[in-house]
Amino acid sequence: MASGRRGRRALALLALWAAPVLLLHAGEGAAPEEASPSRFRFVDVAPELGLTRVVLAGRPGKDHLLDSAGTGAAWLDYDRDGRLDCYVVNDWRIDGDRVKERGRNALYRQREDGTFEDVTDATGTDGEGEWGAGVFVADYDADGWPDMLVTNFGRNVLYRNRGDGRFENVAARVGLEAPGWNTGAAWFDADADGDLDVYIAAYIDNTLEQILAAKPTLPWRGMAMVAVGPFGLEGGSDRFFRNDGGRFVDATVESGMGDKGRGFGFSVRAFDFDDDGDLDVYVANDSDPNYLYRNEGDGTFQEVATWTGLALDENGAAQASMGVAVGDATGDGLKDVFVNHFSEDFSTLYRGLGGGLYEDVSRRTGVGPATFTTLSWGTALADLDNDGDLDLAVMNGHIYPQINEHPELIGTYEQKNLLLENRGPDATPTFVDVTDAAGPGFAQVLSSRGLAVADYDDDGDLDMLITHLDAPPTLLRNDSRTGSWLVVVCEDERGGIVPIGTEVRVTAGGRTWWRDVASGDSYMSTHDPRPHFGLGSLETVDRVEVTWPDRTKSVRTNVPARQFLRIRKGT
Amino acid sequence: MKLGLPGWWTASVAVAIAVALPAPSAAGPAGGTPAEMVATYNSLADGILALKRSEENLVKSILAATLAHGNVSYERARSAMEKGDAKAVTAALEALAADVGQLATEGDNAVGAVRKRLLEGGHHHNAAGEAQGIYDEGYVIVTRAAKAKLLESAKAIAGMAAAPKPDALAAEWKKIQDVVAGLMKGPQ
Repeated sequence: MASGRRGRRALALLALWAAPVLLLHAGEGAAPEEASPSRFRFVDVAPELGLTRVVLAGRPGKDHLLDSAGTGAAWLDYDRDGRLDCYVVNDWRIDGDRVKERGRNALYRQREDGTFEDVTDATGTDGEGEWGAGVFVADYDADGWPDMLVTNFGRNVLYRNRGDGRFENVAARVGLEAPGWNTGAAWFDADADGDLDVYIAAYIDNTLEQILAAKPTLPWRGMAMVAVGPFGLEGGSDRFFRNDGGRFVDATVESGMGDKGRGFGFSVRAFDFDDDGDLDVYVANDSDPNYLYRNEGDGTFQEVATWTGLALDENGAAQASMGVAVGDATGDGLKDVFVNHFSEDFSTLYRGLGGGLYEDVSRRTGVGPATFTTLSWGTALADLDNDGDLDLAVMNGHIYPQINEHPELIGTYEQKNLLLENRGPDATPTFVDVTDAAGPGFAQVLSSRGLAVADYDDDGDLDMLITHLDAPPTLLRNDSRTGSWLVVVCEDERGGIVPIGTEVRVTAGGRTWWRDVASGDSYMSTHDPRPHFGLGSLETVDRVEVTWPDRTKSVRTNVPARQFLRIRKGT
Repeated sequence: MKLGLPGWWTASVAVAIAVALPAPSAAGPAGGTPAEMVATYNSLADGILALKRSEENLVKSILAATLAHGNVSYERARSAMEKGDAKAVTAALEALAADVGQLATEGDNAVGAVRKRLLEGGHHHNAAGEAQGIYDEGYVIVTRAAKAKLLESAKAIAGMAAAPKPDALAAEWKKIQDVVAGLMKGPQ
């Protein structure tokens, strides 16, 4: 039905524009398998590689916001065989006010031939029947194996990796169940004591009974009734848990991260926004000002978003924030922050000014106009063509299926994802929408949510795992014509997985690039833990500097490009 | 009937109301609203309007208290600048920037939560002003224009930590005081 309406819209456009021109521009829809004219080309290989489990999403009419919140995904090498595996969170299917099916999360193990096998049952990671939200990978118990925190509407699940191919849910034992509508989270060492603490955002304070009884009662432009919220519903309380010898203690208030605004929290990203050597916490709130909790260095935090410029847009307005990406988008050596939003509002690129201050540069960089019509979720600042700058991938999909009845107003419920190419700091605008020239993978029209980026096939370019509502995930293999690259594989002293908060700086050709290792990114997702650098035409790197969470460093010089450079802490 | 009240009770109440209501004036129109009820409604209106005025006064108090707190931070920053104490300068400027940010948003996030509750309940203090784009939703005193100026000043003050200049700080603080003084008088 939806595609038929899109077809009618295309016909209407035909009447307005010259037919030959339109046919050229409509190519991606008519013949999606044609070669992309640009250097970008992404192809969905999920079905052939075995990523097939459908992500359920409540009721068809999306009667409650929970029906359309969707899920995240993660990349991890759970068995440490050197190949990335992936995890996709699932929801439930509801019929009226009855639960029809509880979706099962999926852990896919990558085989030697690059295909994936569903090892959910063998590993014991199906999500315990909870309504899933996000997945956040970290070695919380410092045994060298990656564990997974799965946030839920309900009780969270903490899958401890036993190291023998199986996981066990220890959330109740360690104090992380925290019932509620949990969404984004971030693992990080808040108090520099060497272990990982965790911040978990909450969206709305609702019971399952309220959700099952929900009806679409909010008038949408006088044309349809849609799901209510988030205004009119009570915000859930974000929580911060301090790791106290393997047991997690609720330290929300004493840490200063008390969610005083009861914001509708979605995504969380821990990063060192002011370059003072400790990790701060950024929380993207839907329809409320975003939070930025500055780490005071003593285990306490101060909320500083307003005066740093990261709470509101350039008009001083709170936006409906969904997903977050952090990186040096403008190529000036400073960290920038990208936050995406609801439809008919631009997604916001905050440029770092130094000293922990930011300014909204969405309009002048082209990010704002390109993202105005879509409703956006998962996102990444990633060098997708290895030319040395960070491009923007933006996952889209509306929450009201009812808008399909009037696609002429704001488009459809299913939306194309966006690829915004970074043309460099001197270009105006900096970011250009190249979606239509990015191959068949970007011609897909679905209601997308989570995005986890990784070089899953170890070929030196970044691929994209995307979750959708009521559909199996997409794995967009990057077949673009790309430049040189370097991937830095960081390990702890014993060869265990990279510690969260590790930063890598690569210097080559007079430039320095920065990446960090985070657990909690995009929209309720976890990217590849191995920092990836696009190098353009450079074939040698002058210097690789790894700053570990305890601020010690490892340095390598004169490093050939096009390799996975393994660096162990202490060497 | 649905309440299961006995018939005698309903009849008694009807008689009581008939007795209690004043008889219609011979000169007045038949069926007019009793003056006592109008008087009560007037009293209620006084209360409702007083509540709205109280909301204005409360937000003005928040602004005044925040401005006073900001003044302390401003003096601390100036003093630290004179002494050349960079750490103290940074701390004072950040405190001042936070105050100015809270002036812009009529209080901190906790106040924001209250504002959200009021909006959810359908209360818009400046409904007409919001429709005209003068106020953000739920704002009582701070106009959008003033908010933008204050947010800009907050960031400017925070940015001064890198190169502290007393004159620049004084000029920025004066701008803020002028904006707030204007808000206290009425919409800008």
